[in-house]
Amino acid sequence: MTADIEIRNVSKQFGAMMVLDHLSLSIRAREFIVFLGPSGCGKSTLLRMIAGLEAVDSGEIAINNERIDHLPPGKRGIAMVFQSYALYPHMTVRDNMAFGLANIGVPGKVIEARINEAARILEMPHLLDRKPGQLSGGQRQRVAIGRAIVKEPKAFLFDEPLSNLDAALRTRTRIELAQLHQRLQSTMIFVTHDQVEAMTLADRIVVMNNRKIDQIGTPMEIYERPATKFVAGFVGAPAMNFVDATLDRSGENATARFADGVSVQTEIASSQLTDGNYTFGIRSEDVRIVAAGQGNADGVVDVLERLGERTLIYARLGDGQQIVGSDSGNSRVAVGDRIGLAFDGQKSHLFNETGRAWHAREA
Amino acid sequence: MSAPATSIKGRAFGDHVLLALVILLSIVMIAPVLWVIGLSLKDNAELMADPNSVFHAPYTLKNYINTVGTSSVFIWVRNSIIVSGGLTLGTLILSSLAGYGFARLNFPGRDVLFVIVLFGLAVPEQAVLVARHQIFSMLKFHNTYQGLILPGLSAPFGVFLMTQYFKAIPKELDEAAMLDNASRLRIFWKVLLPLTLPAQATLGIFTFLGAWNDYFWPLISATRKDMFTLTVGMASTQTNFAQSEGIGFLMAQAVFAGAPILIVYLFFQKYIVTAVSGAAVR
Repeated sequence: MTADIEIRNVSKQFGAMMVLDHLSLSIRAREFIVFLGPSGCGKSTLLRMIAGLEAVDSGEIAINNERIDHLPPGKRGIAMVFQSYALYPHMTVRDNMAFGLANIGVPGKVIEARINEAARILEMPHLLDRKPGQLSGGQRQRVAIGRAIVKEPKAFLFDEPLSNLDAALRTRTRIELAQLHQRLQSTMIFVTHDQVEAMTLADRIVVMNNRKIDQIGTPMEIYERPATKFVAGFVGAPAMNFVDATLDRSGENATARFADGVSVQTEIASSQLTDGNYTFGIRSEDVRIVAAGQGNADGVVDVLERLGERTLIYARLGDGQQIVGSDSGNSRVAVGDRIGLAFDGQKSHLFNETGRAWHAREA
Repeated sequence: MSAPATSIKGRAFGDHVLLALVILLSIVMIAPVLWVIGLSLKDNAELMADPNSVFHAPYTLKNYINTVGTSSVFIWVRNSIIVSGGLTLGTLILSSLAGYGFARLNFPGRDVLFVIVLFGLAVPEQAVLVARHQIFSMLKFHNTYQGLILPGLSAPFGVFLMTQYFKAIPKELDEAAMLDNASRLRIFWKVLLPLTLPAQATLGIFTFLGAWNDYFWPLISATRKDMFTLTVGMASTQTNFAQSEGIGFLMAQAVFAGAPILIVYLFFQKYIVTAVSGAAVR
């Protein structure tokens, strides 16, 4: 089973505080969609509204063209995996998985068959007679997913389910979730503030900020052509470099000039841009390290971060602004060195005062 | 390395002192019980002649035989079991439901009502005694089990305890159960209530012991001998028969009286220790 989910003009207020402001979104059947955003942006509230755990103040939510926002959670045909897993501590794994099915009158034999199938998929038949207290964090996670699978829901909702796992287990579980999605071909909505999870799992990412959706797109669209300065800064590690700039729009493409006189020729059409203050943005991998005097700007190395396959170099420009560039893993640059920074104009971005982004023409 | 050695020695000395204190306290607690048992096994006449005869033979079961044959102690034990058991069961049911309501339901005036319930903790029984007596007289509840049980069912401590316990259970469990299509009653019964078992045990034990040992209200409400609870019955025996029937007989009755509570203790020892240490209330 799978589901198209349609969210139309949905708003939510807690007291005087607006949490979601007239938000609309279409989720396609079989899609793995990730709500990404900082704490308090409303992503979990939106998920809970889809689940029926929060009332919709205004607007509509529909699954397969049927309004469900007036239905109780159990009648919506969806399953949710909670951040804390929310397993019933006094029940065995088997009973945890059977509880929801028993509540809707599924025959015992069918329940047993579904539990066994889910246990096989998740490789946990040996855990079925244990209680949650006897399981590790990762095993509890599996049980929580198993409890969702047995319900054969129209859609799976995940509320930051990996955040309680250690780094290694998180990576492994992430891969398993991706495989599970491929296997089940069900609609999945995943909430996280971790952009790596979002980038690796999502068919499309919904980046939320300050009660609204800033951008909806595939991971690479979000990464390469962020719609706003917030998205550009939030997605990607390290965060995108931002430098205040004035624009020279006399040529076909705009040239960004920094306060210390450095200029970068972008490939952003001048005709799109208007007067005003802009911020120049570029990702660290698009800033090459060259010899001093050979790039767009010179800087002094503040910090090195050796990541193995590449080295991140934090350099300070003449006006004190810091730029992160990327060099090879065995970079010979040392702290205190004076280096040149070469900006890739094709990969540069401009943001106006409201945060709206412009990018180079698509190749 | 001398410092740790000294520290271990110091700790060992401290442990010995503690052990000695615990033994002393145990003797203080157990000695009267042993004394009661000893007296119950002695002939009344012998005890009257020499109270110290408890330390040597002959011993007899005569007092127990007389208790079984002539005393009302069994009726009083039965009454105490019915009153304490009923009160405990009722308190657990009402406190659990009220605690769930205060912890999980949103209804107008909830917080004010909770404060009013807690005020009940500050009202001494004596302050409402006359009014309660009058009401129960009008309702003809005196000398009935409901007359002995009902006043104890207003248990603000129980409501408070259960409210706090329900509040400590993560709401995600309710939500997961809602997504599992469980009704509110089923969530309460199948998901939340089993998780409050430690609190239920604590509350149940305290309520049972409190009801078993209660003397004040049964003394007022139960005026017929066949409705006496154990505490009232025992007191009446001391007043009227202690001199004539003798101390040995009295002590045999006391052993009978204490037996049920000892059995409760043996069965629920683990929970009682937890309850008294407060470990169950978090």
